[in-house]
Amino acid sequence: MSAATPQYDVIIIGAGVSGNTIAWQLGLAGKKVLILEAGVAVPDSREEYMENFYLALAKTPESPYPAIAERKSVKDSIVQPDPAKLPTPRATVLGLGGAPDTSYLIQAQPNGRTNPPTDKNGNVRGLQFSSTYERVGGGTSWHWLGTSLRELENDIRMKTKYDVFYDWPVTYTELQPLWAKAEKTIGVAASTAQQEPLQVVGLVYPPGYQYPMGPIPMSIVDQTVSTGVAGMQVPGMLDSEGDTRLYDVFVTPTPQGRNSEPYQDRRVCAGNTNCIPICPIQAKWDPTVTLGEALDTGNVTVSYQSVAVNIAVQGKSVTQIDYLVWSKDASGKLSSVKKSVTGKLYVLAAHAIENAKLLLLSNNKQGICNSSDQVGRNLMDHVLYLSWALISENDNPIWGYRGPLATSGIESLRDGDFRKYRSAFRMEIGNEGWNFSSSDPYNTTMDYIQGTNNAQLNPNKQRLGGLALVQKLNSLFTRQFRIGVMFDQAPLAENRVTLDPTNTDGLGIPRPHIDYGLDPYTMEGFRVAKDVCTKIYQRMGATEFTKPGIGGTGDFTYKGQNYHYYGAGHVMGTHRMGNDPCTSVVDANQRSHDVPNLWIVGSGSFPTVATANPTLTLMALAFKSVQSILSALGS
Amino acid sequence: MNTQATAPSTPAPEADVQDFANMSAALTGFLSSVLKPKLDPVGLARTYYEFALSQAGASQMSALLNAFRAIQKQPPQTIADTLLETEKPNDKVSAQALLAQSIVALWYLGAWYIPGVKGSPGNNCDPGGQCNPGFPPTPLQIVSSEAYTNGLVWKVMQSHPMGYSPFTFGYWSQPPGSLSSFGVNTGNGGGQ
Repeated sequence: MSAATPQYDVIIIGAGVSGNTIAWQLGLAGKKVLILEAGVAVPDSREEYMENFYLALAKTPESPYPAIAERKSVKDSIVQPDPAKLPTPRATVLGLGGAPDTSYLIQAQPNGRTNPPTDKNGNVRGLQFSSTYERVGGGTSWHWLGTSLRELENDIRMKTKYDVFYDWPVTYTELQPLWAKAEKTIGVAASTAQQEPLQVVGLVYPPGYQYPMGPIPMSIVDQTVSTGVAGMQVPGMLDSEGDTRLYDVFVTPTPQGRNSEPYQDRRVCAGNTNCIPICPIQAKWDPTVTLGEALDTGNVTVSYQSVAVNIAVQGKSVTQIDYLVWSKDASGKLSSVKKSVTGKLYVLAAHAIENAKLLLLSNNKQGICNSSDQVGRNLMDHVLYLSWALISENDNPIWGYRGPLATSGIESLRDGDFRKYRSAFRMEIGNEGWNFSSSDPYNTTMDYIQGTNNAQLNPNKQRLGGLALVQKLNSLFTRQFRIGVMFDQAPLAENRVTLDPTNTDGLGIPRPHIDYGLDPYTMEGFRVAKDVCTKIYQRMGATEFTKPGIGGTGDFTYKGQNYHYYGAGHVMGTHRMGNDPCTSVVDANQRSHDVPNLWIVGSGSFPTVATANPTLTLMALAFKSVQSILSALGS
Repeated sequence: MNTQATAPSTPAPEADVQDFANMSAALTGFLSSVLKPKLDPVGLARTYYEFALSQAGASQMSALLNAFRAIQKQPPQTIADTLLETEKPNDKVSAQALLAQSIVALWYLGAWYIPGVKGSPGNNCDPGGQCNPGFPPTPLQIVSSEAYTNGLVWKVMQSHPMGYSPFTFGYWSQPPGSLSSFGVNTGNGGGQ
């Protein structure tokens, strides 16, 4: 086998952001590329996925994408189909906290367990990992938000600057042109002039740099919060020790991967307020755009429904990829055929958790590329704190539920000396009322129809109809808003993905087992963020309704206060990059230290979470990998 | 599982559909001409009437319609309050009023909520009674994609269904049109 001529120049596993970007660039350079995509093909029209969304009983991020949630009878709640019977099951919001027959990820935390213990280091262990992802052609970024912030300089040198975590093995200067490439590919709408105030946290663009298109207008919610926080300052730490400097709080428009003008033959954003789970008009870039460009080169082939099960390694080289091509017959019965394919070079781009799973699964479950023992470790997320409030009836309404899901944020607290002691964060202002926090408009509407108080806005349990119902709901929905806070979560070796010893998917492949917890550095960030949110609402004269509790899965207690955390879908760290092969899995080009003809790409390579949403930077890193792949191919 | 309502073998009489639309206008606070326009390519009033009929059964449905017919000359708010029994304690609501609730939910959310089936309350309530958010009831089904995209709740908030915007770039930076421009019957007139 090894003597035969490889069938392709490069085999890529996974047709998401990284895989499609690399395939496109290699195709342009005349290289022959095969993408093995585990999931179903990108549909000819997104109408099919839109119809799934419209008819979904719960409009979760996964709702448009196969496999679709269902229920067994009228009285049952909606559940995902049993992951043990699906060819490409994935983590879903509806499956979180569930038993293995609904949750693809096998979580160390038993379902419904409350008040997890704190260990001797102050870490809360046994928490649920709350982020989810997709396994379809195009990948999880079908439902990315579109937020395209650059990292800050100190985000990628935390060890040097603050003596915590790790430095990234790339420099800020080196990333600048790569970010520019990614911004052009995505079509990021922003204005560098509007971002200028963020020089206070070290955000700097090369002289004269302009985004590909003008900015997305701020929503009325954004404008109201921006006015409300004018002149506000908060200390770096809550207690009188550590960093007590005062930091300015201000709102800036977010650079976004959605069109403010026609771009790449795609339409201008119409403010569908549905970036997650699906943009109905593809005004938001998604990886299927770049996949189309890859296919247009004539050098890229995609094999769908092709699940890689083994990366065969001899010595220090991958020799072939073994994969299962699955299909379903007319009765829905699943079957698969085993195949193998060879390339000169290989790229693993299947998602941070799936990448780790496949690396651990390969070589008869002995694992590959793991001399550092870091594969699957340091699992991180932009673990998220959510707060929500109502604008005072004495003020003008702010009319949420309009525009893209988020158009501005508070980025001014993303850096400071406090990072020696606690997690930094960015604050995202939502344009979807209490949709995220409280399942509105469904919850409050049903409350006022049925006389319940499940969303907390009907304390007298009134029942209304006619114009009285309209006016009550209008007054509530047009005053709702929320702030989500995303943390630079600490990398912990014990937060890890392993192969579950017992549970498998429908193809017999072991499923990911997750051990997860939070440490005091991250939880202190929650404590500060909660305080900042509350102060913002007070300053605005708004009534806060946040009441994170200790109700069960997704809650923790820290310094006597209860918190609920959410997943942001930003899964990172499971094959981190670094210069030292003893402590990292891949190098600065995302090339395996151990097996140099294999690149392992995506946000799994991030050594730290940092404070920007990861998609832009993971695409920038994909462009960096392309340079090294072409160089290795002798181009 | 097939949760689809079985279509009646013969279409419902147009007069019943019109009365259903007029009753729905009073219950929802919208103009009847919005719920059942003269030119009506979507035909939600008929779809909803036939759907509700299949769920509630003929006798319950005609009893509700007859109750409406008896008071249809009264102001819309009075009709809504009477049929929804808004003055009664929540645990004393009749089966007929629960059906009326499901019809309001049908128009607002495009989904059929089984009469009387409620959501789950939030937990961890403090002494002031404020709790974590609970959840709304899960509907039996979204009647159709048109039902979702025509949900009245989005008009109530002067917006559009999430995932179905008729507006153009940048609208979100300006205040929306008035409630009446969204078809709400803001006068206290006949609601026709």
